[in-house]
Amino acid sequence: MKKIFLFLILSVLLSVSVVAQEQSTSPGYKPSSYYTFAWNTLWTIGDFNKWVGNGSPAGFNFGGRYFIPGTNFAAGFNIQWQRVWQDYPQQTFYGDNGVALTAVNYRFTWMVPFQAAIDYYFIPSKMISPYISLGIGGDYMEHHLLIQELDIYKTYWDFSLTPEIGALIKFGAFSNFGAQIAFNYKWTTNQINFSNNDKFKNLQMLQLRVGLCYLLR
Amino acid sequence: MRFFKLTLLAAGFLSLASCSKYPPLSSRLLEDLAILTQYDVNTNFGQYKTFSMVDSISYISDKSTKKILDAQAKAVLTRIAQDLTSRGYQEVAKSTNPDLGINVSAIEVTNVTAYYPGWYWGYPGYYPPDWWGYPGNSYYYPYYPTYYTSYSSGTLSIEMVNFKKINPKGQIPVVWNAFIRGLLTGTHTTVDITNSIDQSFAQTPVLKTSL
Repeated sequence: MKKIFLFLILSVLLSVSVVAQEQSTSPGYKPSSYYTFAWNTLWTIGDFNKWVGNGSPAGFNFGGRYFIPGTNFAAGFNIQWQRVWQDYPQQTFYGDNGVALTAVNYRFTWMVPFQAAIDYYFIPSKMISPYISLGIGGDYMEHHLLIQELDIYKTYWDFSLTPEIGALIKFGAFSNFGAQIAFNYKWTTNQINFSNNDKFKNLQMLQLRVGLCYLLR
Repeated sequence: MRFFKLTLLAAGFLSLASCSKYPPLSSRLLEDLAILTQYDVNTNFGQYKTFSMVDSISYISDKSTKKILDAQAKAVLTRIAQDLTSRGYQEVAKSTNPDLGINVSAIEVTNVTAYYPGWYWGYPGYYPPDWWGYPGNSYYYPYYPTYYTSYSSGTLSIEMVNFKKINPKGQIPVVWNAFIRGLLTGTHTTVDITNSIDQSFAQTPVLKTSL
């Protein structure tokens, strides 16, 4: 029993050292920086979902990251363009001063988020490099309510937070090109205020980002 | 490699340039009727009982004005009277000094950009106050009118005037109005229009008598 136990311990130690050898000698590099251009899909949640219930694939994101030397952290930016929309059957809106309006209405929100981000990469030199990220910044949003040819809209700037998980996938061990896939949750201080029954605050959303990246050594 | 990078950059900028913030729009947006109402919040509609209506609809367009009383016009006038009656009001002849009066007009205008009270009240054939037995008087809005910026097709206008609140200047206040837009596209049936009239009353729950 003792010999078997010792044999098992030695086997585990040997296999771990083999793996460690592979990790240290397998090809790859840690980039100094990279840029991404990605397609972004958004789903509204919470009160934002009461304004527009549909998810939307109409969006893209441009970002850049710069690795902090000696660490697995990278800092950078994200700029995004996104649109969500939905049409609704006849609804009645009640305003001030005795006003009421019933009509088919078409709602959409167009947003331009811009954020600074800090990422942590678990194994940045590998072909598949998972990371976690936190974005902090703001958004410019336009909320539009279309009734026949009337376009009633309001614009707001806001503050937002975006925690994210994702991965960089190099197309080869030493390739300068790769893909990025990421999923995040976003909370904003933005609001929608059109009528007494359309007042929402702190808009929230979920996003999926898939795109290409260009890495620099 | 450099050519590839430049191509990628150009493709990115082209994608950005081709993006419009406006999504593809549904045709229902323009086809369906919109119903806009506004009432004087300082008027107690419960204290009034009788009303009288015009006997035809004023049709006002860029080219002409006339009074119409075809089957559709009759259906419109009848439905308005029914809606008011169901709210406790009683229709009487205009000679009996009613509390309230109802003006009904169909307006086809192509270039109007803002609603301005009195703009079309000067049209011949429209119902001036003297038709109601108040010569020398004029209509006015005691509340700030809502601007409605689209008359590119047609609008059915229903106005309720209050004969019991004529001011010393001889102005007869308009205490409730309804605009039903989209009427003159030719795609709407009489049922669409009368249902919209019902909705215009339904979205003004204060419009009922307590007498």
